[in-house]
Amino acid sequence: MELMDKLRILADSAKYDVACTSSGADRAGQAGCIGSAHAPGICHTFSADGRCVSLLKVLMTNICTYDCAYCVNRRSNDLPRAAFTPEELAGLTIQFYRRNYIEGLFLSSAVIRDPDHTTEQMIKTLELLRGPYRFRGYIHAKTIPGADPALVQRLGLLADRLSVNIELPSAQSLGLLAPDKAKTAILKPMGQIARGVVQNKQELAVYKNTPRFAPAGQSTQMIVGASPENDLDILRLTQGLYKKYQLRRVFYSAYIPVSSDARLPAVDTKPPLLREHRLYQADWLLRFYQFEANELLDEDEPNFDPCLDPKCSWALRHLECFPVDVNRAEKAMLLRVPGIGPRSAQRILTARRTGELGLAELKRMGVVLKRAQYFIVCRGFLGAKGGRRQLASALIDPQVFSGNCEQLSLFAPQSWQLPAEKERLCLAAAAREEAVRCIEKRI
Amino acid sequence: MYRKEDIVYRYDGSWAGFLCCVFAAVYSKEQPFAVLTFEQPLLTLFEERTIETETEKARRVEQSFAKKLGPDARPTLMRAFLCDDPDRDTKLLRMLLLGYKVGPAAFNMLGHADVAPVLEMARSTVSEAHQYKGFLRFADYGDFLGAVIEPKNQVLPLLQKHFCQRYPEESFLIYDRTHRGALLHQAHKASYVRLDEEPCFPEVSKEEEGFQDLWKTFYRTIAIKARENPQLRRSNCPMRYWGQMTELKGELQTGNGSIQPVKALL
Repeated sequence: MELMDKLRILADSAKYDVACTSSGADRAGQAGCIGSAHAPGICHTFSADGRCVSLLKVLMTNICTYDCAYCVNRRSNDLPRAAFTPEELAGLTIQFYRRNYIEGLFLSSAVIRDPDHTTEQMIKTLELLRGPYRFRGYIHAKTIPGADPALVQRLGLLADRLSVNIELPSAQSLGLLAPDKAKTAILKPMGQIARGVVQNKQELAVYKNTPRFAPAGQSTQMIVGASPENDLDILRLTQGLYKKYQLRRVFYSAYIPVSSDARLPAVDTKPPLLREHRLYQADWLLRFYQFEANELLDEDEPNFDPCLDPKCSWALRHLECFPVDVNRAEKAMLLRVPGIGPRSAQRILTARRTGELGLAELKRMGVVLKRAQYFIVCRGFLGAKGGRRQLASALIDPQVFSGNCEQLSLFAPQSWQLPAEKERLCLAAAAREEAVRCIEKRI
Repeated sequence: MYRKEDIVYRYDGSWAGFLCCVFAAVYSKEQPFAVLTFEQPLLTLFEERTIETETEKARRVEQSFAKKLGPDARPTLMRAFLCDDPDRDTKLLRMLLLGYKVGPAAFNMLGHADVAPVLEMARSTVSEAHQYKGFLRFADYGDFLGAVIEPKNQVLPLLQKHFCQRYPEESFLIYDRTHRGALLHQAHKASYVRLDEEPCFPEVSKEEEGFQDLWKTFYRTIAIKARENPQLRRSNCPMRYWGQMTELKGELQTGNGSIQPVKALL
């Protein structure tokens, strides 16, 4: 088979993996080698779906012995199959890397023969890259559930980041949709990697030349919308993973129907993109805004509001915490103001040491006053006096009502025909009006 | 205190030349209405003064940065100077005059009307350079790798370290079409050249074409049809970069990225 065909088949099979980040590892280049790693990560292009492409994301092979219902590569799916040889894949990675197409390699695989054999193939590829090619760029490797811990250890010494996909947000769903994968088979390597990273840090503190084990940590991903868990379940699980396994990132992937199966949503179901977006926003709040899962959602309201981002939604439910005095408040409180992000919060802390801040200063520092004005006081400003209606329309997420058919269709019934552009915009305006009224009532 | 004067400084556009404008302003205790290079069009009827570039004056001003404005001042000012903003020099001078008055704290006055614009210019250059770290495309011409960029700001100095340490064993050339300059890297040494005419790249080989096709195939394959979102792609990767990107060049011609005029539909 031609390299071109293999690349097409194995990229196509890998595309449902969300993570394509190249962040978390910093490694300078070196004479005689090729490549470096840049801690914030670098996006090299954006695909037609708007997602960042940073790594050459492919499978080692898509020949699989498993039959997971949600997966495009399941054994029972009629699909062209292919496998890279380690030499082919290492060579291709270097050629792409030289041309600055990519930041490195994202290597995953279907389970060919058994998890150990699959992992050995991946290790061979990475050894070629790190050895003969002297490649110092970024490598993200996926561990195969059920692989020998010794192999996972070797993989971690070659890769910058490891990941184990948790796939579905609960053990029941996993048992139902992926009978070949047990929850323990997923959590065991996750625990091993977490311990490995911690141990490696201690060793590095003593011996500077200790080989580094997964310096960019580990990440995971789960599918949203294929099983019945609500947003609160997912967010609690996420928080648990961050705390217990020190994950760097949890990725969510809106379920895109790849098979008709009675256990799964119908094939014509639209991927729940807005829900995925809200989960990412909440994930950010957990990692950078010092929020806890239980503050954002509770048993009475276990799902996110489609019209409001989770932070605005929290602010509306806690109006008693506001207004915040920008010139005196602690960082944690600044971060809770809609319109102030981690960057502008940091800027406020720096700038207010040189003098009292007023609205003009805040605006120049990148605070979004359209939202923030209702929640702050500062020099010469005692908070905007808006009615509920103004507040509701300032906080509503404009993206949802931009007339973008995909977003709007999330509110529409399944059978709804998508209207023409002009009507769509009218409908968007009407839907927005309705949502503003609804939020207004709740305040 | 500096008197606000209805006067325009003209200088040669070099960093040293700009430093001499700072020297002139400080020593005549005046804040000119604008600082412009010789090429910039005349905007007002104000009196103009030509500022000569003198190395000694430039050196004294440059030394004053670390002493009066703190160790972080120079890199920030340099980055802002690489920005293409038409009011760049006026904004920089205004901030410097404030800095000489209040000292290093000026760089913490992030919301000040004279400080924020300079920090904004520095950020804009750095962020464009960061985008080029990803969006720049090399082609293999046999003896060397070649790339063309069309940046708004002068990003080459900010790209030098990144690409030179990433590809230490490669010979490469990055041509900045907007500013007609090039970064050359050969045998572990980097240099800048000014090129008045566009360098003529040789034809690409069959092998190179093969890799470009592989990349384009990968790029097309990786997108998920059910999630297609042209607006998001354009905001993450603005179309001004597409012309030089192997995988997106084609889409520019077929008009796939063209913006739907929403207003016309209403």
